[in-house]
Amino acid sequence: MSYESKDVILQVENLSVVYDGKTIIKDINLVEKDTQRAGKIQGQTIAFVGRSGRGKSTLFRALTGMIEPATGKVLVPDISKYNGEAHTIALKEVHEGDVGFVDQKYTLFRHKTVYQALHYAMRHAKLSEKEKKEKIDQHLAEWGLEKVRNQYPNELSGGQRQRTAILEQLLGTGTMMVLDEPFSGLDVGNIQNVKQAFELVNASHELNTLIFSSHDIELTVELADSIYVVGYPALDNGQRTNYGTVLQHFDLKKMGLAWKDELNGDHLDLIKTIKKTMLDS
Amino acid sequence: MEIKKWFRPFEQLQMEQRLSILTIWIVGVGAYWFAVTSGEKRLFPPPVKVWEGLQALFNEGLVHHIASSLGLCLQATLISIVFSLVVAYLSPVPFLRPVAVALSRMRYLPLTGITFYLAIVVSNARAMQVWVLVIFMSLYFITSLLGVVKDIPQEEIDHARSLKCTRWEVLWEVVIKGRFDYVLDVLRQNLAIVWMMLVTVESILVGAGGLGVLIKNSDRFMNHGRIVALQLVILFVGLGIDLFINYVRKLLFRYSKI
Ligand SMILES: Nc1ncnc2c1ncn2[C@@H]1O[C@H](COP(=O)(O)OP(=O)(O)OP(=O)(O)O)[C@@H](O)[C@H]1O
Ligand SMILES: [Mg+2]
Repeated sequence: MSYESKDVILQVENLSVVYDGKTIIKDINLVEKDTQRAGKIQGQTIAFVGRSGRGKSTLFRALTGMIEPATGKVLVPDISKYNGEAHTIALKEVHEGDVGFVDQKYTLFRHKTVYQALHYAMRHAKLSEKEKKEKIDQHLAEWGLEKVRNQYPNELSGGQRQRTAILEQLLGTGTMMVLDEPFSGLDVGNIQNVKQAFELVNASHELNTLIFSSHDIELTVELADSIYVVGYPALDNGQRTNYGTVLQHFDLKKMGLAWKDELNGDHLDLIKTIKKTMLDS
Repeated sequence: MEIKKWFRPFEQLQMEQRLSILTIWIVGVGAYWFAVTSGEKRLFPPPVKVWEGLQALFNEGLVHHIASSLGLCLQATLISIVFSLVVAYLSPVPFLRPVAVALSRMRYLPLTGITFYLAIVVSNARAMQVWVLVIFMSLYFITSLLGVVKDIPQEEIDHARSLKCTRWEVLWEVVIKGRFDYVLDVLRQNLAIVWMMLVTVESILVGAGGLGVLIKNSDRFMNHGRIVALQLVILFVGLGIDLFINYVRKLLFRYSKI
């Protein structure tokens, strides 16, 4: 499958986060580029896997600008300078609100109905009231939330809440969205829904970039086109440290494993490799 | 066997069974009251005496006094809740936080010292009642409201931040609008203390009417029936306020499930 890598859309340099004097993650460096495929709008799907407590959520809080890194920086596209043409993406340091963030609990405003929440998320959009309403209606229908549009979060099922949380970020923030364990606690049907949501997001804008974490390695390999394994690095003497960093990176596009409908033998080998790295860390 | 279930911990009973249990208790307590108060020597007045006491209270202007107490309660509550809300809502601002915390600690101050200084400033009995109540209610309200603000999970704050809310918008959406139903609940939780304090304050600072005055008068009459009747009236008016606030909360806030 042919593709091209264009502008840098995410750059993390020498990132570390310290909580109360304790280093949680350190030495994180990564670069992700805009993927372009002929005749198709193709967003990016980046995944982070790693055992519990290795710092995925912490890394995500830094990626979304929710916490100040102790060292290093996170660079994301400055959407205000992008005009749709190649090589016009300028990078800037991330600030809260630049990158969408759906946490593991699908937090919503408890006092806003689904419709009100989406409307609030679009408050900065340069659209008329009528256009906003149409856009919301269209998304509610596409995402199967038409029936619950006037319900509050405490009246929604877990899956409905999650779709609302994703939609809210989609309508409200730029092109980049971070989702912390979006598949945990969902049934097969819900997982299917979120997978479709991912496809919808990926196909709706060239720059759209989804970043997620998961403990389901099979699903991760199926969905992502770039996978990072986070874990405790080994020192030269073989001992493990207790801060997280990127141990391995798999570019599934380069490996010819991205965007496949079915998993093949190569995918299964990759899953084994990832699991081994995780177990060792 | 149905009856056996009534004595099994954590048993979920049908509505009608719960009602039966309640009826048994009410009838039982009523019968006990009749029984123990029918003899010659008694500490507690029989129902008839209480009924007579109630009538006596009516003649002394019970309705007027209830209205006066409720008026005082409403006035003091409004002032103190507004003040407490401002303090609690500003507590997330680091620079103002110490003020809020210090105020909530003041609830350990004794009542007497404050009334002494208030008496110097305020001369009117009614105004005095209002200010004593406002000060003490505020300290309790602030404590509870600070708890509400503190219990807001970081995720809710981060969720608002991720939607491009400025920090002041986070405060407005998540803390003020998002927790408004909790304010009513705080009010309800603290009203029991307030109601008790109110009657006490009225009985210390006589001169403006209210249920507290009736209590004060009870000492003079030494009429047991009247005393018990008055206690019951105060209890039921308090419970009525509690029910009313809870009803309003459920009516206004569909998303509220506390
Ligand atoms: N606010 C905090 N203060 C201090 N330490 C923290 C804080 N949040 C997380 N940690 C610590 O940072 C480490 C990484 O936590 P993090 O939540 O990022 O892990 P994770 O990889 O997301 O784990 P999981 O897969 O279980 O969600 C843990 O050891 C945790 O105890
Ligand atoms: Mg986590």
